[in-house]
Amino acid sequence: MLVRTGLTGAFPRSETLVSATRDLDRGRTTYEAVEELFRRTEEEVAELEQRLGFSETTAGYLRWPDPFRPFAETWEGFTVGPLTRWLETNTFYRQPILLAPPGRTPGAIASRLPPPLVRSPGSARVLLPGPYTFASMLDNRSGETEPALIHRLGRLLGDEVRELRGHGFETFLFSEPQLVVHPPEGPRAEAVVAGYGAVDGALSGGTSIVWTYGADARPAFPLLDRLPVSVVGVDLSETEVDQIPEGPAPQGLGLGVVDPRTTLAEDPAEVARVVRAAQSRRHARSVWLGPGGPLDLLPWEPATRKLHVLPAVQRALSEGSS
Amino acid sequence: MTRPLFPTQEIGSLAKPRWQLLGQRSEALDESAKDELRSWDARVGFASEVPTVRDALLEGRPHDTSPDAVRDLGALFGLRFLETAGLDRVYDGEARRIEMYEYPIRQMRGFRFGGHVRSFDSKYYLKAAVVDEVQLDRPYHVDEFDFVKRHAHAEPKLPVTGPYTLADWSYNEYYLARQPGWKGRTARRAAQREFVVDLARRAIRPTLSALIEHGCRVIQIDEPAAGTHPDEASIVVDGFNAATEGLNAEFTMHICYSNYADLLPALLEAKRCRQWAWEFANRDSPGHDGYSVLKLLREYGDTREVGLGAVDVHRDQVEPPEAVAERIQRAASYLGDPSRIWVNPDCGLRTRSLPVARAKLESVVKGAAIARAELEDPRR
Repeated sequence: MLVRTGLTGAFPRSETLVSATRDLDRGRTTYEAVEELFRRTEEEVAELEQRLGFSETTAGYLRWPDPFRPFAETWEGFTVGPLTRWLETNTFYRQPILLAPPGRTPGAIASRLPPPLVRSPGSARVLLPGPYTFASMLDNRSGETEPALIHRLGRLLGDEVRELRGHGFETFLFSEPQLVVHPPEGPRAEAVVAGYGAVDGALSGGTSIVWTYGADARPAFPLLDRLPVSVVGVDLSETEVDQIPEGPAPQGLGLGVVDPRTTLAEDPAEVARVVRAAQSRRHARSVWLGPGGPLDLLPWEPATRKLHVLPAVQRALSEGSS
Repeated sequence: MTRPLFPTQEIGSLAKPRWQLLGQRSEALDESAKDELRSWDARVGFASEVPTVRDALLEGRPHDTSPDAVRDLGALFGLRFLETAGLDRVYDGEARRIEMYEYPIRQMRGFRFGGHVRSFDSKYYLKAAVVDEVQLDRPYHVDEFDFVKRHAHAEPKLPVTGPYTLADWSYNEYYLARQPGWKGRTARRAAQREFVVDLARRAIRPTLSALIEHGCRVIQIDEPAAGTHPDEASIVVDGFNAATEGLNAEFTMHICYSNYADLLPALLEAKRCRQWAWEFANRDSPGHDGYSVLKLLREYGDTREVGLGAVDVHRDQVEPPEAVAERIQRAASYLGDPSRIWVNPDCGLRTRSLPVARAKLESVVKGAAIARAELEDPRR
């Protein structure tokens, strides 16, 4: 079984970085000092990912306030809106308000990627919002219908992928909790497939991962199986493994096996057992393991501790298959 | 106790005045803080009840008083602020509290704080993990209530963070670890129920019991997390029932910014809940009836009181009393029984400036009076 590992969303800020950003808000430190600390902590996360043998590095996306903000701040048609609850959590994002059909600003997202990724784009995992989640979590005042907007955002994200491929980036993870929290149907579902078709057209040999989390994926599987992407991930904290449909998976099988909702560390042997059970139902070409969703729902220390389960599971799986 | 039709009540915290924040840090008040203290004293009359603290603050001698005495003065201010606005049920604006999670958790054993979680941008909060069986060190909020009881002219109502919210805002290690096998959805749900009920029985109930022994008759259980996982409404109920089991007081449940329809009918199993105190005004706008969910209570045959959120705490714009009255009348028509309505802000007013908060509270009181008069004399 080919098993890859990696982060599937933002990583928490270290306690030192928490203090520094608070101090900056209160005028007790300088912007330059905080920037330097961001830089050092991004390096620390990237080194941790490499040390744990992850297939790609993300450097944690520590500066991004939420998955949409860089887009809301730089793309045409957007403005940054009010604080809004992030799914079923006690954390918040600033809801993008779309006042006109959106347009990309070339270079804007590339300039906001964590520096360790820019230095080694071939081993980077670029984290992007999925077009469906993006469309359904913004305040659409553009006059465009939701299916049209989903498709348009898919095309724009495809253009983003094309630009980043030009810089040497190869792996792109699209965060799509809404695909399972509010599974789309009818024209919205078709727009999701078309949107990822546009991304696929820009990949030119790269890898695309759609990562779902936040709800039971079972109702969404018929749609997920249709997505023209390399890997589809489901959160096993929400989806019971015996409810995963049986039959060969058309894409790589992504499994969220580290629960971002609890500080309790997972038991590698138990995780390996569940991974084998999932794979026995899907027979996927490759298995991608990661946290169920962004780990920034945890503080730095337990998040770091919990990540160590992934190489341990990898070892348990390879021992079991040899 | 005889109450008017559409009695009014507070629902949560007020912003802390600058003079209190500076004074409890033993810092000298600047001129604007002194003006703030003098002007509110002139308006609601509180500082002359403790002239030594007032004079120490106004005369630039913060070290001649203590942080606790300044907090007392802050509590007295909150109390008089709400009373002179005309509310029938009051508290102290939660003048001694900073937040609603960390303080209660720190009165218990079994928890470990493991670091900060980002709430948004560069704002963070401390979140604890339950790592052992929950034990209460000592009942909390009791001194706070004693002070309010000694000084209140109107009926006091005490807010307490509910067991479901305390559990939802914590990490569940101890109870989850006890679940056998894979810690998936089913195991997590079972562990959460066990955690909530244990927290309710071992920590919240003894606290409520102590408060009742000290004379507290009306207790608001705050469950703002109830709406974040609608499929766990039965766990909210189990926590509420365990926390209040065998206790004799008027219990209300405050929930806000939730889709209440998703919580029904499960929530109706909260046995000793006498009143639903919910936010409505925030979702009420032209073309969108924020109160229509009340029809569901009628359909389910629920006859409890409703604490009607009639002003939005997230906007500075002050609702005119006539708009408040219209909302009350609309709610009364949906419930089919006006006598079950209490009127209040949607939630705590701490995010609004004190002048805006005061104007909104006065609008609540005047709006209730208009609605009352119109019901008593429909020709008006």
